Amino acid sequence: MEKKLSEMIYDEEGIVKRIEGGLRERIAGMGIRVGKKVKMITKHPMKGPVVVVVDEARTSLGLSIAEKIIVEVKK
Amino acid sequence: MKVLLMGHPNVGKSVVFNRLTGANVIISNYPGTTVDYTKGYMKVKGKDFTVIDVPGTFSLEAKDKAEEVAVKMLEEEKDAVVICVVDSSKIERGLYLTLEIIERGYPVILALNMWDIAQDKSIHIDAEKLENILGIPVIPTIAINGKGIKDLVSKIKDATPVETDKILEKVGGKE
Amino acid sequence: MKLTVDERWDLIEKISKETVIFGVYKHTVKDAIGELTVKPLTGIPIAFAVLYGFWSFFGSFAGFFTDGFFVKLFDEHWLPWLQDVFPGGLGNWFYAIMVDAGHMENGILVASDNCFESFGVLTSGFFLAIGVVLPAIIAFYLILTLLEDTGYMPRLAVLIDTVLHKIGLHGFAIVPTILSLGCNVPAVTASRILETKKQRFIMMTLLAIFIPCGAQLGIMEEVIPDTIGFVLLYLFTGYFILGFILHKVLPGKSPEILIDVPPYQMPMLRDVAMKLWMRVKGFFKIAIPFVLLGCIIVNILYLANIIDWLANVLSPVLSGWFGVPKETVGPLIAAFLRKDLAVAQLSAIEMTKYQMITSVVLVSIYFPCVATFMMLLKEGWKDLLGSIAVLALVVFLYGGLLHLIWILLGVA
Repeated sequence: MEKKLSEMIYDEEGIVKRIEGGLRERIAGMGIRVGKKVKMITKHPMKGPVVVVVDEARTSLGLSIAEKIIVEVKK
Repeated sequence: MKVLLMGHPNVGKSVVFNRLTGANVIISNYPGTTVDYTKGYMKVKGKDFTVIDVPGTFSLEAKDKAEEVAVKMLEEEKDAVVICVVDSSKIERGLYLTLEIIERGYPVILALNMWDIAQDKSIHIDAEKLENILGIPVIPTIAINGKGIKDLVSKIKDATPVETDKILEKVGGKE
Repeated sequence: MKLTVDERWDLIEKISKETVIFGVYKHTVKDAIGELTVKPLTGIPIAFAVLYGFWSFFGSFAGFFTDGFFVKLFDEHWLPWLQDVFPGGLGNWFYAIMVDAGHMENGILVASDNCFESFGVLTSGFFLAIGVVLPAIIAFYLILTLLEDTGYMPRLAVLIDTVLHKIGLHGFAIVPTILSLGCNVPAVTASRILETKKQRFIMMTLLAIFIPCGAQLGIMEEVIPDTIGFVLLYLFTGYFILGFILHKVLPGKSPEILIDVPPYQMPMLRDVAMKLWMRVKGFFKIAIPFVLLGCIIVNILYLANIIDWLANVLSPVLSGWFGVPKETVGPLIAAFLRKDLAVAQLSAIEMTKYQMITSVVLVSIYFPCVATFMMLLKEGWKDLLGSIAVLALVVFLYGGLLHLIWILLGVA
């Protein structure tokens, strides 16, 4: 099932499917790219940021940035 | 002759700088402190080198003004040798920055720093093979105890620009 | 040849396949703590505890050295000794600048008995710089350096992101904000970690107006220990109110947080010591000349009666609008050079507790000290002009508001 990274729940894992143009270049250097496994570590309330793990590196992204990343998760 | 030290934030870049120059630099665990660069000097076999500690950046696609400073410094030093310092335990995203710099035509030396931490996390890197594929000197280092720094210094003269095509060929070309 | 993002990652995957073997990663205690401190439910209480610990340590460390040692040293030994041996004596202009200007009591000029009042270069200048500001700055940078070198700061940034996002910034703006509590000068440079012009303008304006520096905090702990909490609360509230307004009014984008959260590290003693030394040294290079120069200039202005003249001219604004004694004009002039000096000077003026609060707030917000001013100028004069326009308005309204609060409470 596909969903936005921002919609993933705590501890959920998924594979990055698509990243909206423009953002792709911005986050490429941090290791987030299509085909990579991501895991949700925490999601802050009140439209706060999320923290995800990619290749054992933790990255924090604002919610509207996370909305631009589409992941494939197991049902 | 100028040597630029580049790498992500928190990869021990400033510690490498200290080891190379013996200068006292502010080392910080987050980007922002070293937004103003630090300069030092070292002598290798009678030759003087200026070493510049470039602010940490994840990519040459700058996302803020601090990273812009880093990219601008690289662009201003057309003849510099770049030592790219990466966190061995996060080798892949380190290679991303390394390739970006190679693509721009700079002679690059790759320092696989925090080698011990990668080992602890059971990440094994074949440095020789990596050197072969990339066509640039690749040296495992542990900056905090000085391991590999001498090697790094002695390889500065071996760094030459590499064509991206050559690297692509070695791993089977573009599909 | 340049590759596209996808081509580059393709190439890396291929290289990695041939040269790297990834074993099974075992999660460690460090990872567990790393996660606890970044999740809201556990992270926010921990953040409060950390910041409270920071503040307590700052207060008690500085207090221990200042009250326990330096006050006695300077007031009981250094000042009387200088008053004894320095040529000239009370009434002499050079003696007044260097040692003690004295003050009028029943028409007679009497000598000062402490280094807050004497206001000589060798007495107050040295006492403030070494006795009060030095311990405060060391305490501040020690904790800050530890927070940085362990890797806590990015976590704090994630935790506070939601709040700072409301004022057009994002979590990482906590770095320049906290740095600014030490000294505004490096904080202005650190504002560059923000992405857009709008964000940097908001950040620099807020820093210049509302964040008191470590030196000033040290002196405030010394002269208004009972009300410093209220002053800080009033300033931080202003930070958020103005931030919110600027965010709504200014054009431009406010991108969200996008940062790496590195693993925790054990700080290395050598690095912490080195960094602390460099920072304290850097601070004093900026501070000492201005503290001493400030003492000289303020003394000269007093001796030439310029301060008295200005006090009378500005009296309608100062006593009328802000409700503070007109004598505060002296400290306000000193505040151009050093805020710590200005607060120290305030303590020698006769006024109520509430007037003191207003005065300290005014000194804090009304103009960045000259070192910060130069730093802001380096970042661009257009933004600086904008910041100053905002500042003038804020001083007038937010300073006046405090007077209004006192009137409503019936204590003005």
